[in-house]
Amino acid sequence: MASALVSDLEIDSAMTLNQVGVGCDVRIRILSGPGCDRLRDLGFCEQLQIRKLAGGRNLICSVCGTRMAISRELAEQVLVAPLA
Amino acid sequence: MHSATSTIALIGNPNAGKTTLFNALTGANQKVGNYSGVTVELKSGEAFTPHGKKLRVLDLPGCYSLRAPSPDEKVAVDALHGDLPGYGKPDLVVCVLDASNLERHLQLALQVIELRMPTVIALNMVDMAEKSGLRLDPAKLSEELGVPVVPMQASAGKGIIELKQALRFPFPSPPDPKWVQDADEPDAARRSFIHSICELAARRPDAHQLTVSDKLDAWLLHPVFGWVAFLTTMFTVFWAIFSFAEIPMGWIESGQGALSAWVSSLMPDGDLRSLLVDGVIGGVGGVVVFLPQIVLLFFFIGLLESSGYMARAAFLMDGVMAKAGLSGKAFLPLFSSYACAIPGVMATRTIDSAKERLVTMFVAPWMSCSARLPVYFLIVPLLLHENEGSWKQALVLFGIYTLGTLSAFVVARLLRKRLGPDTGANHFLLELPPYRAPQWSYILRHVFERGWSFIAKAGTIILGLSILLWALGTYPKSDDENVDPLSHSAMGRIGAVIEPVVKPLGFDGRIGTAILTSFAAREVFNSSLAVIFRVEEAETDEEARGRTRDRIAAATWPDGAPLFTPLTLVSILVFFIYALQCLPTTAVVAREAGSWKWALGQFAFMSAFAYLASLVVYQGGRLLGF
Repeated sequence: MASALVSDLEIDSAMTLNQVGVGCDVRIRILSGPGCDRLRDLGFCEQLQIRKLAGGRNLICSVCGTRMAISRELAEQVLVAPLA
Repeated sequence: MHSATSTIALIGNPNAGKTTLFNALTGANQKVGNYSGVTVELKSGEAFTPHGKKLRVLDLPGCYSLRAPSPDEKVAVDALHGDLPGYGKPDLVVCVLDASNLERHLQLALQVIELRMPTVIALNMVDMAEKSGLRLDPAKLSEELGVPVVPMQASAGKGIIELKQALRFPFPSPPDPKWVQDADEPDAARRSFIHSICELAARRPDAHQLTVSDKLDAWLLHPVFGWVAFLTTMFTVFWAIFSFAEIPMGWIESGQGALSAWVSSLMPDGDLRSLLVDGVIGGVGGVVVFLPQIVLLFFFIGLLESSGYMARAAFLMDGVMAKAGLSGKAFLPLFSSYACAIPGVMATRTIDSAKERLVTMFVAPWMSCSARLPVYFLIVPLLLHENEGSWKQALVLFGIYTLGTLSAFVVARLLRKRLGPDTGANHFLLELPPYRAPQWSYILRHVFERGWSFIAKAGTIILGLSILLWALGTYPKSDDENVDPLSHSAMGRIGAVIEPVVKPLGFDGRIGTAILTSFAAREVFNSSLAVIFRVEEAETDEEARGRTRDRIAAATWPDGAPLFTPLTLVSILVFFIYALQCLPTTAVVAREAGSWKWALGQFAFMSAFAYLASLVVYQGGRLLGF
């Protein structure tokens, strides 16, 4: 019960990758949306630490040392939280 | 022990170095690009184990997972399951992983291991991983995954022997994937397994150090400076092609002149001498002289691909492509089409959306390919005075490429709208590989291959057509001295028939005939002009056998007006920008689109468009007083 509450709260306070500032390190909380299988294949997995390198029309993120460019629509499906 | 040849399949994420490893194993001539989608078709080669046992090696297209939404990934999946016609189920899978990216690349490796086929893991690019501070433990990795793991650096040939040792008989027994044994959700189980394995076997000191690539990208992907860099790079490439190629072109031209003079001095005047000097040497020489440009174009494309800049260009172009209704993924096929539309059309397989793929294929031939270069290089200098700087020629050439490209975008946009929206969501996703020093041996091999295929074409199709054209322009002969030999010949008669059709474009029957022959291959236009216009100058003989360009510059209409006015030259250029004069392209489009209707529609549309565009340019230009 309590753990469910905690995770609900986490989802509420999470932001999408689009809302994160450039240069920030974040941890992926949840992937939700039609593109999430594709994102996981590319390495955007839950619990993974990533850094947003550039915003704009397409975002650039550093995932495990690789730069990936993804569209804003996909970034919208990535919910992240700042590193504790 | 097996008696038949065993099959080994190489699989891995894009950019993991499968093709480099394939080349190192088989020694095959194959292209490597530092962007995803270089291998769009299955490549097969042969390798030998240390004991001399022959193996068949398959190089599969890169894929991120075995769920496979795009057509090139589907090829890889089908090959693993043995569903591809002509290839059985592979006996062993070599999974190529980029050591510096284990968290991501292991996703695919686990899925492959779950197929329970004998698997060997090639842990590639360990040098780069260790340089970035990663501490790898291949033995631990092997223990956890239950399959052999061979650390290697395929680009330097390190670890190849060790890998071949691992491919000896008997093959390792099929692994037992312990992470899915009693998991309800295989995806989640895989993720947590990867997480734990990376903690153990690939420890990262600090995941987010700014690398050299990051620093370069801050400039090269900058919204303003990135574009400046992109346009400067593209313009420099064109300028370099124009100015560097002049020197070897001079050698080829003088060699050709010397050869003609030598043959002429050996043989008595007659039909055979005319065939050799005007038909063979003139016709083939008119095309071979452009070899340096083509070699340089492929060299620069190879350099951009292999250094990693091409993926950045695709990233920058995504916004522009969106205006044409396409995504950044269409940039790579379209850019390859500047070299040749055929690999460009094949590279469209990396595009997920079927509709976007059809549209990209449709407009790809409007990216001016290298076969058009000989024509451009013949015509552009006629437009400008000899003393003008080569940068002006480069500017005109740049304009030609821009015109073709912009028209392609407009057509793509209209066509994309007509096809309607996609059924599923397709999003832009692109891996930006680290910048690497170019792999010179592969670039040079690739350039050599393309150059050689150009020469082979000149020696076969173009040689044959040159002889045919010479015969058409020489026979039947007239006994009457007053009759112009060309207009009496078969070619002159063909020209007379098509002249009314091409006259509104500013062409006479001779140019019309040359264009007609260029539908076999664009470069033949040059051979045709060389062969046609030598008859004209027959009486001045030796000195007039100079360069084709000088001779055609002097050509006139029957009333004495110059034939190649600037307006006519522009009209020719416009025609060549738009016309689809390449049978192999039509055949490849038909195969890739799975529809002859699509390919023939493209051919009809482009031919009609070329005619109309030239018509508008010529008639419009005349009205404006040019």
